[in-house]
Amino acid sequence: MSQSLRPYLTAVRYSLEAALTLSNFSSQEVERHNRPEVEVPNTSAELLLQPIHISRNENEQVLIESSVNSVRVSIKVKQADEIEQILVHKFTRFLEQRAESFYILRRSPMPGFSISFLITNKHTETMKTGKLVDFIIEFMEEVDKEISEMKLFLNARARFVAEAYLDQFVY
Amino acid sequence: MEDWRRIDIDAFDPESGRLTAQDLIPPYVQQTDPQAVQQQISQLKSFATSGDINSALQLATSDPPYGADDSTKALYFRAVLETLTQVRQADIANVVKQLQPQQQDVLIKYLYRGMSIPEGQRQGGILLAWFEKLTQVAGVQPVMHYLTDRRTV
Amino acid sequence: MLHLQPQNILIQKTLSEAFDALNKGTSLTLDRIISDFDYTTFHVSNSPEDKSILLLSIRTKAWQSVQKCQGSIGLLDYLQSKYQGCSGAAISPQPEMGYDLTLQITLSQLTGESLVQLSLLKTIVLSYPFQLAFDEFAQLSSTPVPVEGTPPVSNTLHTVQYRDEESLFIKPASDRITVIFETSFQDETDKIFGKVFLQEFVDARKRNRSIQSAPQVLFSHEPPLELQHQIQPRSDPSKRFVTFVLFPRHFQTQELQFNSVAQLILFRNYFHYHIKCSKAYMHSRMRFRVDSFIKVLNRAKVDEEDDSKGDSSVHAQPTRRTITGRKMVY
Repeated sequence: MSQSLRPYLTAVRYSLEAALTLSNFSSQEVERHNRPEVEVPNTSAELLLQPIHISRNENEQVLIESSVNSVRVSIKVKQADEIEQILVHKFTRFLEQRAESFYILRRSPMPGFSISFLITNKHTETMKTGKLVDFIIEFMEEVDKEISEMKLFLNARARFVAEAYLDQFVY
Repeated sequence: MEDWRRIDIDAFDPESGRLTAQDLIPPYVQQTDPQAVQQQISQLKSFATSGDINSALQLATSDPPYGADDSTKALYFRAVLETLTQVRQADIANVVKQLQPQQQDVLIKYLYRGMSIPEGQRQGGILLAWFEKLTQVAGVQPVMHYLTDRRTV
Repeated sequence: MLHLQPQNILIQKTLSEAFDALNKGTSLTLDRIISDFDYTTFHVSNSPEDKSILLLSIRTKAWQSVQKCQGSIGLLDYLQSKYQGCSGAAISPQPEMGYDLTLQITLSQLTGESLVQLSLLKTIVLSYPFQLAFDEFAQLSSTPVPVEGTPPVSNTLHTVQYRDEESLFIKPASDRITVIFETSFQDETDKIFGKVFLQEFVDARKRNRSIQSAPQVLFSHEPPLELQHQIQPRSDPSKRFVTFVLFPRHFQTQELQFNSVAQLILFRNYFHYHIKCSKAYMHSRMRFRVDSFIKVLNRAKVDEEDDSKGDSSVHAQPTRRTITGRKMVY
C-alpha cells in the first residue's frame, strides 16, 4: 500500500467508527414516519451532526454526513484522465443499478462525488458495525485497483489489436 | 409556475420548533472581537516563523475564535493551516503529545476544516499525517467530540 | 476470433447449401436477405424461371461513390473482369429492383473457388477505387523523374463514402498510396476508447520491430494535407483522420494488392469490433467485482443462527415472533 493511502484510510476508518453510532428515531414532524434524517430536506438542525471531510488530495475525498439515525458516506474516486473518468462513471453506475443487493448503497451519488452510501439504524441493527466499516474501506481500496487494472487492460488490448492488424501487412 | 406542493410550510411557522444551526451554538460562546483575533494571528505567525511550533499550536488550540464571523474565522484558519503544514512529519507526534484533551478536540476541528476547503485539500497528505498521529494518541474520542460539538472554527 | 474475414460467411454457407441440395436432386427455394458491415445488404433468391439459377444482389452505401471514381477502366468492366474466370457466375445486365448489382449464378457449374469469389462480392466492389489507384501508381512511377524538378504529381483523389458520416479517401502518388479514413464516434465511451486504440495503431509500428514494414499509420484531428482542398478544415470538430501510407512493397503483386485492400476495407469494422469486445470484457469483469463486493458486505450481516442460540451472549434476546411467524422488529 502506498505511503499516503494508509493515513487516508485510517482517517476514514476512525471517522466512520465514530459516526456509526445510530439509534432508532421517529420523525418529529410527521406522525408514524421514520426516515433517515440526513436525507430529509429542511430537517431541524439538532438532528444533524457536523459533516466530516477527509481528503487525500483534490481528487480523492470522502464526505461523511451524519445524523441521529443515518449516515451518508460519499466517496470521490481518483480520476486522473478521461479514460479513468469514463471507467469510474461506468463502474459506479453499474454498482448503483444493483443497489438493492448492496443494502447500503445509495442509488445516486451526492453531487461532486462518484458514489454514495446511506447507512441507517436498520443496517447497524442487522449488521456488525465494524464489518460495515471494513466493507467501505475495502471498497475504497478495491475501486482504485480495479480502475487502474481496467485501464491497463484497455491499453494492453489496444496494443495487441493494433499490432495484430498491422502484422497482416508484413509480407 | 412554482411547484406549490413542494413548499415547505413548516418553515413559515414560528411555532414549528424547528431549529437552525445558529440556534444550537451554546450561549456561553462570546462574540469575539476581530481586533483580538488579528492579534492572535500575528502572534501565531511570529511563533511559526521562529519555528516554535509547540507554542504556536498551544496558542491555536487553547482559544479558538468560536464567536467570530465567517471571514475572520477564515483568516484565522489560514494562519493555522500555514502553521500545520510547516511542521516536519517527524515532529508531529511530539507536538500532539503535548496537547490536553480539550486541545486535541480543537486540533481535529482544524484538520477536518482544512480538508473541506481546496487550500487544505492540496495539503491533504500532511493533514492526514496529523490526523493519524492524533488518533494514535487519543483514539476515536476527538472525532466523537467533533461530531457533536456545535462550535466551529 | 481476432481477425475479421473479408468474405461473407453467410453467403458462402447459403450457396454451398443450395449447391449440395441441387446435387441431391432437391433444389432449394431461397429468398434470403443477408447483411454485412456498413449498410450492405445481399439478397439471395431463385431465378423466377429456373430453380437451378440463383440471383445474388448487393446493395451497399458505397456504390454511389465508387461508381463516381474515374479511371482507366469502368466499374462494371472491372467487375466483369473479376468474375470472368469465375465459373457459374455472370453479371446480370439488369440489377434487381432496389439493389445495385445482381449476379446470376448457375448452380450446376459452381466450383469451390468461384464460391469464395462470390462471397467476396462486397470486398471486390470496394476494391475498385484501390485498383484505379494501383494502376495510376504504376503509371506515375514508370514515368521518368525529370532530373531537376519534382516527380509527377497526381491530382486524383478517390472518395468512397461507405457510411453516412464517414468516408475513405485514396490518393496515389509516384512512390506511395495514401489511404485516409475519416472517423467519428457516436458514443461518448467509444470516443475515448477509440482514442486509446488509435493511438496504439500509431505507436505499434515504432514499438514493435517485427512490424516495421507495415504501412505507416498517422492520426490527426485536422484533415491531412491531401484532403485540405476537399474538406473544410474543422468542418466538424468531432471528426478524426487516420492515414495509412502504403508503400510499393504492400502492393507489388496481385495477391498482395488484394490482401492489403481486403484488410484496409475492414479497418473500421475491425477497430470498432474490438472496442465493443473491450466493453463486453469490462462488463463481465465488473459483474465479477460486484459479486466479490457483495460477499464482503454479507460478512457484515449478523448470522441468524447466532441470534437464535443466544446462549453465550448475555444481552441476546430470544427472537420474538408474531402469531403468523413473522419476526418482530423493534
